[in-house]
Amino acid sequence: MVDMVITESQATQGVTEAFNAASVELLTKGEPAWLREGREQAWSVYEQTPMPNTRLEEWRYTDLTRLLQLASLRLPEVEVGPGSASTWPDRLRETTEQNREAAGHIVLIDGHVVHADIDPVLAEQGVILDSLHDALTLHPELVKEHLGSAVSADDGKLEALNMAMWADGIFVYVPSAVRLDLPIRVTRWISQAGAAYFSRVLIVAEAQSQVSYVDEVVSDDFDTQTLKSSAVELVAGAGAVLQYVTVQRAGSGVFVHSAQRTLAERDARIDTLNVGLGGSVHRVDLNAKLLGPGANSEMLGLYFGDGNQHFDFNTSQDHTEPNTGSDLLYKGALDGASRAVFRGIIRVLPGAQRTDAYQTNRNLLLSSGARADSLPNLEIEADDVKCSHGATVGELDTEAKFYLMSRGLDKVQAERLVVLGFLGEVLSRLPLGGVIEKVTGAIEEKLSQHG
Amino acid sequence: MPENETIQGLDLDEYKYDFVTEVDPVYRAQRGLSEEVVRQISQHKEEPDWMLDFRLKALEVYESKPMPKWGGDLDGLEQVLDEIYFYVRPQDRMQHSWEDVPDEIKDTFEKLGIPEAEREVLAGVGAQYESEMVYHSLREEWEKQGVIFDSIEDGLKNHPELFREHFGTIIPTADNKFSAMNSAVWSGGSFVYIPKGVSLDTPLQAYFRVNQERMGQFERTLIIVDEGAQAHYIEGCTAPVYSTESFHSGVIEIVVKKNARFRYTTIQNWSNNMYNLVTQRAIVEEGANMEWLDGNLGSKLTMKYPSCYLMGEGAHGEILSIAYSGDGQHQDTGGKVVHAAPHTTSSIVSKSISKGHGRSTYRGLLKVHEGAHHARSNVECDALLINETSRTDTYPYIEIEENDANVGHEASVSRIGEEQLFYLTSRGIPEDEAMAMIVRGFIEPIAKELPLEYAVELNRLIELEMEGSVG
Repeated sequence: MVDMVITESQATQGVTEAFNAASVELLTKGEPAWLREGREQAWSVYEQTPMPNTRLEEWRYTDLTRLLQLASLRLPEVEVGPGSASTWPDRLRETTEQNREAAGHIVLIDGHVVHADIDPVLAEQGVILDSLHDALTLHPELVKEHLGSAVSADDGKLEALNMAMWADGIFVYVPSAVRLDLPIRVTRWISQAGAAYFSRVLIVAEAQSQVSYVDEVVSDDFDTQTLKSSAVELVAGAGAVLQYVTVQRAGSGVFVHSAQRTLAERDARIDTLNVGLGGSVHRVDLNAKLLGPGANSEMLGLYFGDGNQHFDFNTSQDHTEPNTGSDLLYKGALDGASRAVFRGIIRVLPGAQRTDAYQTNRNLLLSSGARADSLPNLEIEADDVKCSHGATVGELDTEAKFYLMSRGLDKVQAERLVVLGFLGEVLSRLPLGGVIEKVTGAIEEKLSQHG
Repeated sequence: MPENETIQGLDLDEYKYDFVTEVDPVYRAQRGLSEEVVRQISQHKEEPDWMLDFRLKALEVYESKPMPKWGGDLDGLEQVLDEIYFYVRPQDRMQHSWEDVPDEIKDTFEKLGIPEAEREVLAGVGAQYESEMVYHSLREEWEKQGVIFDSIEDGLKNHPELFREHFGTIIPTADNKFSAMNSAVWSGGSFVYIPKGVSLDTPLQAYFRVNQERMGQFERTLIIVDEGAQAHYIEGCTAPVYSTESFHSGVIEIVVKKNARFRYTTIQNWSNNMYNLVTQRAIVEEGANMEWLDGNLGSKLTMKYPSCYLMGEGAHGEILSIAYSGDGQHQDTGGKVVHAAPHTTSSIVSKSISKGHGRSTYRGLLKVHEGAHHARSNVECDALLINETSRTDTYPYIEIEENDANVGHEASVSRIGEEQLFYLTSRGIPEDEAMAMIVRGFIEPIAKELPLEYAVELNRLIELEMEGSVG
C-alpha cells in the first residue's frame, strides 16, 4: 500500500489509510474505462460529501461519528478461499446445507465467490447468475446498462464509498418471460476482524419474468468493528415479479449498511424482506420507486435486537405514476439494551392518482433498557389516493401470555410463542422455502437467552 | 359526476374580518427589531430591571439562533421582520369598564361579534388591540374567590412573586428562535391564576386583534391553575387583509397543578397575510388534566404544536387539532406530548382539510421517558383532500424508552368519497348539502368540543359556501 499522509480535514471527511484515491486506483486495474470513471467520480463525491451527522433528519437517531470507526477499518486481505465445502467453517457449511432447494447458488467467503452453480435448464434459457466481476467480462453491456442505475454515488456518503470501493458482488439476469420456480440462494461468510467489505447486488428481471433471491450473511463474533457495506439494485421490467430477501445473521462487532433501491416498471411487482438479527449496528436505506401504472411493492422487515444492538430502517415509497401500490410492514422485538429506529415516508407526487400506499411499524419492547423510535411520514400531493400509516410501540401482550400459561406452558415458553406469533406475521407474507424455518430458528436461539 | 365543480364550493376562505379601523396609536416604535426597540418597550411598561435584563438576554439568544429549516417556508420572513412594527401602543392605559374603551376600538370588537350579551355569560373577557390589552374584566364573584384574570403587564406589576416564580420557566427563552424573539419583545397577553379548588363554570375569553398594516404582535400568556381548580380559556384571533405580511408570535405558558383541570381553546382566524409562529406548552402535574383545542383556519403560515409535559403520576394530556388550508395557506400544526411520569395517559386527534393549493401538515412528537411505566398514548390523524392540487403531510415522531408502555399512531388520507356522495344524493339530498354534510361529519368530533358560537360559525361557513355550487 502507498504510504500517505492524511490531513485532519481529509480525516473528518472519511479519507483514511484504507479508503483513499490510491486505493480506488488499485481497484480499477483491468477494469473498462466506464467503470474506472464511475469509481473515480464516486470517490470525488465521497470526498466532497460531509459525513452524515445527527442534525440530518435521516440520521437523527444513528450517530455515525460515534458508531462507525472508519479510520480503524482496513481492506480485507486478498486470499482465494477454499473451494471445497469440506474445508468451509462449520457455520457456513451448516447454513448452505439448508439451502438445497434452489435455482442456483453462490457462496462467498470474504467477498470472493468460492462456489457458484445454476440449474442448467435455466442457463440454457439465458438466466445469468455470476459474480459481478465475471459478469463484467462475460456480459459487459448488460452490466454497464444497469450498474449504478438504481443506487448511485449521489445517494449519499456511504453509497458513494461503496460505488468507489466495491470489490465484488452478484449479478442476476432473467430474460423476458423466463420464470424461476425456486429461489436463487446466496450465502456469505466473513472472517477478517476489522475489515471493510464492499459488495453490490444487481438483479435485472426483464418483462414478464419471475425470480426470487435470498441473500444471507453469517459470521463469528468480532472484537474489532468490521464493516459490511452493500448496494442492492433491483430492476423489474413490465409485468415482472422480483422477490428479494436478505437475512443478516452476522456476529457482534459487524456494522452493516445496506443501500437498496427497487425500480418497478408498469405492472411489475418487487417485494423485499429485510431480516435483521445479528451485527452490532444495522442500517438499511430502502427506496421503492413505482415507475409505471400497475406497479406494486410489498416491503417487509423483521428485526430482533438484544444486547446493545442498534437497528435503523430508513424507507421511502415513491409514487410518481397513477394506479400504483405499496404496502410496508416492519415489525421488531427488542430485548436487553437494544434499540430500533424506523423512519419511513410515503411520497405521492402530483398526478399520481389512485395510489394505494400503506405503512406500518410495530415494536415490542421486551426489557426496560430497550428503546424504539418510530417516524412514519406521509407527503401527499394528489387527492384521489388511499394512504394510511400506523406505528405502535408496546409491551408483550400479557393477556395472550397468561392464556398460554393457564394452558400449562411455562413463562418462557409462553413469551416465546407470543413473540414468534408477533413476528411471524411478517414472514408469512413472503413465504419463500426455508426462510421461515431459518429465521424462526434464529429468533428462538436469541429468545432462549432472554432472561 | 363533475365532482370537482361541487367540491370547489367548499370554502372557508370567505373572510369577514377584513376591515380596518382608523385609530391613532399613542406610541409606535420604529420598524424592525433592535436593542433600542426592546429598551423602549420595557421603558413604556415601566418594568423592573430584571425584566429588561431578561429581554436583552433574549434578544441575544434570538440573534444567535438560525432560522428553522423545517416546517413552513420562512424564506421571505427576514425581510418581513425588517419592515414591521414590533410595538404599537393603542391607548394610554388599560380599561376595566367597557364604556371607557375608545369608541373606534370598541367598534372593532363589536364588529367581531363580541356583543354585550356574550360578554355577560363569560367569567371574564380580555381584548388585545395591536401590542396591548385594551380591556380586561372579570366577574365579581370570581374576583372575590381570588381568581386573577389580568393583562400580563398587570400580572407583573401586581403579583410580582407569583409572576416571577413561573414566567419563562415552562418555555425557556432559548427553546426556539421565536420563543426567544417573544421573550425579547413580548407585549400583551393574559395573566391568569385560578386558586386552589376554585371551578369556573364559564370560560375566560381573550380576543386578539391586529389592526394596522405591517404589525407584529407578541402576546405572552401565563396561566397557573392551582391544585384541584378547573377552568377553560378561549382565545380568538383576527386581522384585516393587507397586501404586505404581518407577524404574530405568541408564547403561552401554563402550569396545571395537582388534580386540576384546564382547557385552552384557540380559534385562530388571522387573515391570509399573517405569519403565525406560536409556542404553547403546559406542565401537567400529578392527577391533573390538560386539554388543548386548537383550531387553525386563517393565516398564511402557522407553525404551532401545543404541548403537554406530563410530569406527575396519573397526569393526562389531550390535544384536539383542526386545520383548514385554502389557496396560499400552509397550516403546519400538530402537538407534542412528553410522558415523564408513571401511569400518564394522552391522546392526540388531528383533522385537516386542504383545498385548492392549500397544504396541511401534521407534525407531532410523542415521547415516553424511561420510568414512565404504564404510559398509554394514542394519536390519530385524518386528512381530507378536496382538490388534486391540495397537499397534506404527516410527520409524527415517536420515541419510546420504556417497555411497559403502549403507544399507537394512525393516520389516513382520503378525499370525499363518491360513494358517500352517491348514497346521499340518491336519498334526495342536493349535492351541495351532501358535500357539506360529509365535511361536517369529518370535523364533527372536534367541532362538538368547540364553544357553541364557534361551532355554529364553522358550520355556517361551510354551508354558506356550498350554496349555488352545483354547476
